[in-house]
Amino acid sequence: MNDGATGPLASAGRTRFGRLEAHLPSVLLAAVGAALPLIGDSYLGVIATRAAIYWVLVSGLNLVVGFAGQIAIGWVALLTLGAYATSVLSAGTVLPEVSPFLALLAAGLLGAIFGVIIGLPALRLRTFYFAMTTLGFATIVTQVALAWKSVTGGGVGVPGPVFAWPFASPWGFYYFCLGLAVIATWMTTNIAASRFGRSLVAIRDAEVAAEAVGIHKPSLLVTVFLFSGAVAAIAGGLFASLQSYITPDAFTFDLSVLFFIAILIGGRGSILGPLLGTIILTALPEFAAPLVAWSTFLYAVLLLVIVLAVPGGIADLLDYKNRRPLQRHREIRPQPALLAHIMPHSEQANLLRLEHLTLSFGGVRAIDGVELEIKAGEVHGLIGPNGSGKTTTLNVICGYYPPQHGLVRLNDKVLGPAAPHTRARHRIARTFQTPRLVGAASVLENVMIGGTTAGRASFVEALLSLPRQHRDEQQARAAAMAALAAVGLDQLALVRADRLQHSELRFVEIARALMSRPLFLLLDEPAAGLTVDEIKRLGALIVTISRQGTGVLLVEHHADMIFDICDRVTVLNLGKVLASGTPAEIRGHREVINAYLGA
Amino acid sequence: MSLSRRQALLGSAAGTAALATGLYRPAIAASEPIRIGYLPALTGPSSSTGIGINRGTELAVKEINDAGGINGRQIELIVRDTQSDPTKAVNAATELTRRHKVHVIWGPLNSGEALAATPLIARDGIPQMHPCWVDTLTDVKKYPLAFRNAPTNQQIGGAANHYVVNILKAKKVAVISDTTGYGTASLNAYVPMLKTLAAEVVYEGSVESNNPDLKPELLRMQSAGAQAIMPWSVNAGFLSRIINARAEMNWDIPIVGQTTLGSGQTKALLKKPEYWEKVYPNNFRNCSYNAGGALPPRTVEFVERIRKANIEMSDTLLWWIALGYDGPRLMAEAIKAAGSAPEEIAGYWNKVKGWPGVYGSITWTPDLHDGFQNEEIVMCQANSLRDGAFTLAPGYTG
Amino acid sequence: MLLSIVSYGLALGAVYALIGITYNVMFAASRVFSFTAGTVGMLGGVIGALLINRLGLPVALGFLLTLGAGAGLGIITEMVTVRPVLKSLDQHLYVLSTLAFALMLQQLTAIEWSTEPQPFPRLLPLGPGIFDQQFWLPMLACGVTIAGLEWLYRHTLVGRAFLAIAEDNYAARALGLPEQGLRIASYALAGMIGTLAGFSSGEMMLAYFGNGPLLNFYGFVPVALGGMGSNRGAVAGGLALGLFQQTANFLVGGIFASVAIFVVFIIVLLVRPEGFAGAAPARRV
Repeated sequence: MNDGATGPLASAGRTRFGRLEAHLPSVLLAAVGAALPLIGDSYLGVIATRAAIYWVLVSGLNLVVGFAGQIAIGWVALLTLGAYATSVLSAGTVLPEVSPFLALLAAGLLGAIFGVIIGLPALRLRTFYFAMTTLGFATIVTQVALAWKSVTGGGVGVPGPVFAWPFASPWGFYYFCLGLAVIATWMTTNIAASRFGRSLVAIRDAEVAAEAVGIHKPSLLVTVFLFSGAVAAIAGGLFASLQSYITPDAFTFDLSVLFFIAILIGGRGSILGPLLGTIILTALPEFAAPLVAWSTFLYAVLLLVIVLAVPGGIADLLDYKNRRPLQRHREIRPQPALLAHIMPHSEQANLLRLEHLTLSFGGVRAIDGVELEIKAGEVHGLIGPNGSGKTTTLNVICGYYPPQHGLVRLNDKVLGPAAPHTRARHRIARTFQTPRLVGAASVLENVMIGGTTAGRASFVEALLSLPRQHRDEQQARAAAMAALAAVGLDQLALVRADRLQHSELRFVEIARALMSRPLFLLLDEPAAGLTVDEIKRLGALIVTISRQGTGVLLVEHHADMIFDICDRVTVLNLGKVLASGTPAEIRGHREVINAYLGA
Repeated sequence: MSLSRRQALLGSAAGTAALATGLYRPAIAASEPIRIGYLPALTGPSSSTGIGINRGTELAVKEINDAGGINGRQIELIVRDTQSDPTKAVNAATELTRRHKVHVIWGPLNSGEALAATPLIARDGIPQMHPCWVDTLTDVKKYPLAFRNAPTNQQIGGAANHYVVNILKAKKVAVISDTTGYGTASLNAYVPMLKTLAAEVVYEGSVESNNPDLKPELLRMQSAGAQAIMPWSVNAGFLSRIINARAEMNWDIPIVGQTTLGSGQTKALLKKPEYWEKVYPNNFRNCSYNAGGALPPRTVEFVERIRKANIEMSDTLLWWIALGYDGPRLMAEAIKAAGSAPEEIAGYWNKVKGWPGVYGSITWTPDLHDGFQNEEIVMCQANSLRDGAFTLAPGYTG
Repeated sequence: MLLSIVSYGLALGAVYALIGITYNVMFAASRVFSFTAGTVGMLGGVIGALLINRLGLPVALGFLLTLGAGAGLGIITEMVTVRPVLKSLDQHLYVLSTLAFALMLQQLTAIEWSTEPQPFPRLLPLGPGIFDQQFWLPMLACGVTIAGLEWLYRHTLVGRAFLAIAEDNYAARALGLPEQGLRIASYALAGMIGTLAGFSSGEMMLAYFGNGPLLNFYGFVPVALGGMGSNRGAVAGGLALGLFQQTANFLVGGIFASVAIFVVFIIVLLVRPEGFAGAAPARRV
């Protein structure tokens, strides 16, 4: 989402001009594309048609690779599938003949199904494993095309579909492909600027935090694979028509490499970058004839250089806004008074209770029978020496680890173990010891990720930019700006998160957590790395949050802060509760002093 | 004289500028070069054929131009390497027909590319000659301007089947192919043909070409009682594994099939040179030695010309060069006699009868654009390779 | 018949196992799976054929130089594609950088060597008997490698340091182990094992650039089945894969054999993502 041109970053400018500017490059490209036939070189037309077709595929794959960060290197499998499906259905050799347009639609449906099948391993497997399975699929599809002679014609192949008037002529077909490419661009731009786009990037760069804000990775990925598979298969149908005749050897692995590398050259999380990448990689071999044999080698070199030197790709180079220097010596000045705008005062007597939680890692008891009660409107401090089980307790509450014994109860409901993405729905939010943010996204986008569960528009509504989607976006943006103002970072809303100082990131995480108007907020060492003044302001902010009716669990090492702001304090030692009580009681507790506070 | 693409571009730009001035148009049109668009696969997985053909094509164009061109017009060979990739072939064919407005197209040289490029060339109305074997690549209704100066797969398989059944008298035959387009298509076509010859096909199978172990397949053939193996593949690795496995099983039956069985690539992969015994690849009568070790007279003269032009022969096959040499000459002849308009070229070709090519005699009719003659397709002895040519297999009379 | 399946199957399996070990040795040192494993295997055959067949070097010298080239490739892989992206391991940039490098090697071989399979010399002056050297050489190479690695890991100081790095590289660094040096050494070792796989199977698989992607995939299957980092798992998985492939080849034919392997691979991974011998990762937050 580092794309200054198409991401919500620019549209956050909220002016008409800002929106126009955001879409200007794509609109310009489309205009140039529409005017291309004026040149009258229909060879150029074929290359442009090819680029448009490839882009239809790449636009969908971009959501998988560029946004969700899944290394799908064998996507040519879906191109093959779509090409054969469209050709075979419109030829009527196997089933009754249908119009090529219907065949294209049917191929899209089939592609959606196979997109999910190919994508399925991504839900369970590690990155490299997934890359290998897509690679395997790419090989298998070609082999099946060869073996299934009665349908695919085997090695002899089948003629591609011919689309009827007005798309029968070369330029007519070009406009057909260009039109679909424009639609694909528009749709994926809509997704990029929606909570779905932000969630995908969150899965890519901050998976754990994504779960904490309620993003369910499997269902989101399945949705994206459906879309991406459908457009890839449609691209396949167009490809078959452009080729006029398809054989399995047209679907080379080099083609897969081209799609994949176009995205990475373009820049992950951008739409415009991969679009330019696709155009460049399609056209380059045509205009650099002596290098043609070396083209895949050069793509590979380009990929290596991009990964090592410009991980942001073309989009980074275009992102001039984020090269403006930031003000130095910034101070974070939260404005707790503004909290009322995002979380209205609540008098509900909510209660979060840990009952006899026990969890060991390989024989070591990380927590051992922990009992704890966090009440609405209170700040509850959790202290203890390193390794005493504080963060593990947080992780069990948030559902990252299933406890071996005991349970976590919210009011009367038992929270399911090992289901971190459900916590946001119960309005339990947290921050992390090391801030887990999307460095490539703006601060505002990072905070908006916290409002994922508040979104009402479906994926399709987002895809088509329907009214409910607009309402969602406006509300999320307004809430995120309010949260940022409350933590004192509204001036930095449009800056890429990875340009911020470490201390600022902690406040961004708090703002993100506030987006769900949490009943309970779990803070994991929020004061680490902050200056004395900043700790004071943080303390005031935390107290104000709790007074709005939120229960806060504060894990901290700064004893001063704990005793200043906590209503109750629990001390852990070796995974067990050593003591629990008011700050005054704890301060006087002999064992606590011995074990932890020192003389 | 093949021009680089850049030169070709400059050339055509200059031509356009001259045309635009209008005044000198007739004179310029008359001396304007004849543009032959040429689509060889010079790189990529099946490029060795393309490289061989290319030597003949360049020689023919050079000879014609040195002799003063076609009615005073030089041939400009506009080359685009298709890299053995159908996608590249489509781009390249379009560039030749639409941007360079070539008069005639020579190629593509392999079937996978021709399948994709031929419909496009037909749509743009440019006469085309290609040497690809896939049967559907000529069709006077669909592609009225496409001509073939080589045999079809049907003819190739027919010749091999004829040899196995009628000359070697084998009645039980094993047919194996790799899984490429060429391999599977051949297998599909030849098995029914064998059956019409009253032979029994006791084994048929397509195997992935880089499968390192073909012994199980051969064992199955053996247990089915095969008397001859007919492999259809252009992959030297695949073919050499069949030959090696046969020898290591001490199984003494003939292997009859695709021309690549006799290529240097295949030879290099044999474990022992003597494994090449009783291997009979397809070949062409005009490019074969008779039992006395002599080539036909017109071929002798051609080989002499190749020698003089210092063209490398050791790493390629004579018939590839001959085929490459015939293409442009048949184009030049048509343009010289009839003119350079598409209908003039095709009209002339439609009436070609017994044209004496080095590779083969060509006869086309308005109804049949497959010009190669059945009797010129023969089998030869793989281990007889000398200067790019082979000796006829036993049973043929030279 | 059975002998043919078993000998070819085990020979192929040994090659897959060696490539699996190549993956593992690199993984142990850096937590990185590298796409170069199969490519280095392919190059073992190509470089061997280049040195012995084209340049006419004696077999022993050609063998040593091939292994040396493998070590060099391993070191380059480490320096160019792994070290620069190690600090951002969770972004998985290594998948891209090693893929890029593997593609470069692959294309370079296609262009400068040949896209056709080329002959590989017979290594020992023995005729093909019932039990041909092209079968037992890969098995021997696999056996020697696994025995050597066991000895290295259990009985030498360097080997123990390797294990320490594999177990926990932060702790190993804290103990003062030269983490970077050991990583480079591991990559050199992996390169040698990879080229050994290609060299010992050269006669069987030929010096062919297309072996790269093949070995990349089939060499990874044993790693996935046996559990990452487990060399014994890789050997067992590799041999099982080789036998399975040859049996399937024989019973149902080539295309269906590769489809079958792929389906088994996917199902095993979906059911048991950590492999049969591996353990599920415990902590992630």
